[in-house]
Amino acid sequence: MKAQKLLFTSIIAGFMSIVGFGQNIAGSAHDFSGETWNPGGEICQVCHTPHGAVTGLTAPLWNHEVTTATFTLYTNVVSPSFDATASQPAGASKLCLSCHDGTVAMDNFGGQTGGTDFISGGELLGTDLSNEHPVSFTYDDALATTDGGLFLPSTANSGLGGTIAADLLLGNQVQCSSCHDVHNASGIGNLLVKTNAGSALCLTCHNK
Amino acid sequence: MKNVIIVISIILLWFPIEIKSQSILTSKHNLSVSSSGTIKATSESEVCIFCHTPHNSSPRAPLWNKNATGTTYLLYNSSTMEAIPGQPDGSSILCLSCHDGTIALGDLVSRSTQITMTNTMSPRGNLTTDLSNDHPISFTYDAALASADGQLKTPPLLNTELDNNSRLQCTSCHDPHKETYPKFLVASTEFSALCFTCHDRSYWANSTHNTSSKTWNGTGTDPWAHLESAYSNVSQNACANCHDPHNADGKPRLLKSLAEENNCLDCHNGNVAGKNIQTQLAKTYRHNVFGYIGVHNPTESPFVLTKHVECQDCHNPHASNATTAVAPFVNGFNRGVEGIDQSGNTVLTSTYEYEICYKCHAGNSWTPAPAFPRQINQNNVRLEFATSNPSFHPVVGARNNTEITPNLIAPNTASTVLYCSSCHASNDAGGPTGPHGSIYPQILKLQYTTTDNTSETATNYALCYSCHNRNNIINDNNTFKEHKKHIVKERTSCSVCHDPHGISSTQGNSSNNSNLINFRTGIVTPSSSGILRYEDTGAGTGRCYLTCHGENHDPESY
Repeated sequence: MKAQKLLFTSIIAGFMSIVGFGQNIAGSAHDFSGETWNPGGEICQVCHTPHGAVTGLTAPLWNHEVTTATFTLYTNVVSPSFDATASQPAGASKLCLSCHDGTVAMDNFGGQTGGTDFISGGELLGTDLSNEHPVSFTYDDALATTDGGLFLPSTANSGLGGTIAADLLLGNQVQCSSCHDVHNASGIGNLLVKTNAGSALCLTCHNK
Repeated sequence: MKNVIIVISIILLWFPIEIKSQSILTSKHNLSVSSSGTIKATSESEVCIFCHTPHNSSPRAPLWNKNATGTTYLLYNSSTMEAIPGQPDGSSILCLSCHDGTIALGDLVSRSTQITMTNTMSPRGNLTTDLSNDHPISFTYDAALASADGQLKTPPLLNTELDNNSRLQCTSCHDPHKETYPKFLVASTEFSALCFTCHDRSYWANSTHNTSSKTWNGTGTDPWAHLESAYSNVSQNACANCHDPHNADGKPRLLKSLAEENNCLDCHNGNVAGKNIQTQLAKTYRHNVFGYIGVHNPTESPFVLTKHVECQDCHNPHASNATTAVAPFVNGFNRGVEGIDQSGNTVLTSTYEYEICYKCHAGNSWTPAPAFPRQINQNNVRLEFATSNPSFHPVVGARNNTEITPNLIAPNTASTVLYCSSCHASNDAGGPTGPHGSIYPQILKLQYTTTDNTSETATNYALCYSCHNRNNIINDNNTFKEHKKHIVKERTSCSVCHDPHGISSTQGNSSNNSNLINFRTGIVTPSSSGILRYEDTGAGTGRCYLTCHGENHDPESY
């Protein structure tokens, strides 16, 4: 049994190394090692720290100042056909927004405040999220049934090996990480978790 | 148990097929390079992108990816529409961000350079900014509208078809993601099921246009050429036989043809319907429906004020059917038509055929003058046919004397009532009922010679002799004792002495105008005493004061 498990793990690891070769955060859009506002030149440190991480978050050894903004949401008032319950970004999405909402400087990490380098351009989402795909809402089978245009997350295939719920959702919630892999494991443009050719990513959840 | 498994397996096997056929990927709205359609990107692989973007959408919902057109649209309008369409809003304005033809299909908010496309939208898909020939959208459809209109279903039954503001939008009929039915329609157009989700036409259930299984015989113009995928028979095409929800030629009421009659004659020309009305309407004497375009208005006064005639003035295409009636009651083909009753009042549904004729022939300002000048002139046939008149042809009710009864040909009796169309109809034996057209003046179905000095023959007065016994008349049996002398020897037309419709009691009286006597003043002149008069002195007796064919009656008694 143990041998089988080992073999299986080795095979997976073998695959990962092939697929993942040259496709990781180094050299990706999230590799800030060369930025002037990151004089230490470390890649991970902008977001993570092995010691003395920000407390009070269910976040992975977080090292960046977290946004306190109140966001304008994509609600069922904005879109009457949106059947989920909108709520303020939480969990992983809030971590992303700690740079992408433009209220917290990118260089406010490692306990530093008063940074001056803010995100800009197409990556700046702002605090008005009413023109963005909603995040931090529960996407369960009940929602899919109510909506009628969504696949059942508990059973539908994500295309990544498991179900939507298992592979794309965090605690049954859609987060930024449902579409984006911040660490760029797949190497797909825009840090997407899977290719969107043929709108395959959209149509993973949307039954259109 | 085994059966259950088989059933479930069959269902499961069917499901993927069904779902696939409804996916946007296999529809025309897949504009990506993978599309099987003709309008598609040369290299762009994303599908949703042509309408949606996950970030920085405009407008926000539903994460839209096309710029607003900023256009002011020309809106649909019709005198029979109670709804108030506004400039397109809601989902409709989104659809128009491609379908008005002002923004390129590949021009997206999220892309800095336009996506290159092959081919462009067809004229059918490009609605343009002139929406006056398209079904109205962006109007509130509520119970109040249904009530005001009277021919719309009350909307709580169909809330899902309307947007959250109770407005009808493109999405009421079309689901842009699913081509379950052609053209992304949300329901079948067969038997106009989709139309009848909202529309509730009076009479339709029993209309021949609803029930007829007639097909086009392939000759002449295809009556369904305006439809991209017509069904094979009238019943199946239903509303679409005449109406076109987009790019309609006849804008008000979205008729397929601007010329009203063409909506009818494309089928009623012998190629679909059983009777060929078109050939009747081509005859010298006719109701000239070709002479007017855009004059007829369904909301016009039934007492027609502006001269015109269209098929729709006498026929209601939502109601017409083949049921037959007995005079004076309307036949099925005149069902559900407005009219003017014998008292001169408007009726929304004519009960009697003559009520339809009275719309135009009852002293309207433009009603044609009588064919000949007579002692008493009257261009209001409603007054001529009143049963209180001294004499009249029995159109409104049975005749008021029995003197003539022995000379009537069966099945006519003293109680017989006629239609206007008993005399005014096609000259073709077995031709369509009704005064569409004839080779004879006044659209009469048989010859009725009115020229003076005409030889008496069965043919020359065929119309009269179709009810009145010729043999008796020209041999003076059971009739005016001098008929033979006048008609046969003096060759005087029936019309010289008789005024066939009747003489109104407002002008004539039972002494001087019984027996439909009302002399033509172009032929009959006063006697040497200066008197022009007929006097009825009882059954079979009377006297005349007149001069005619050189004879002076001053008076002449019989």
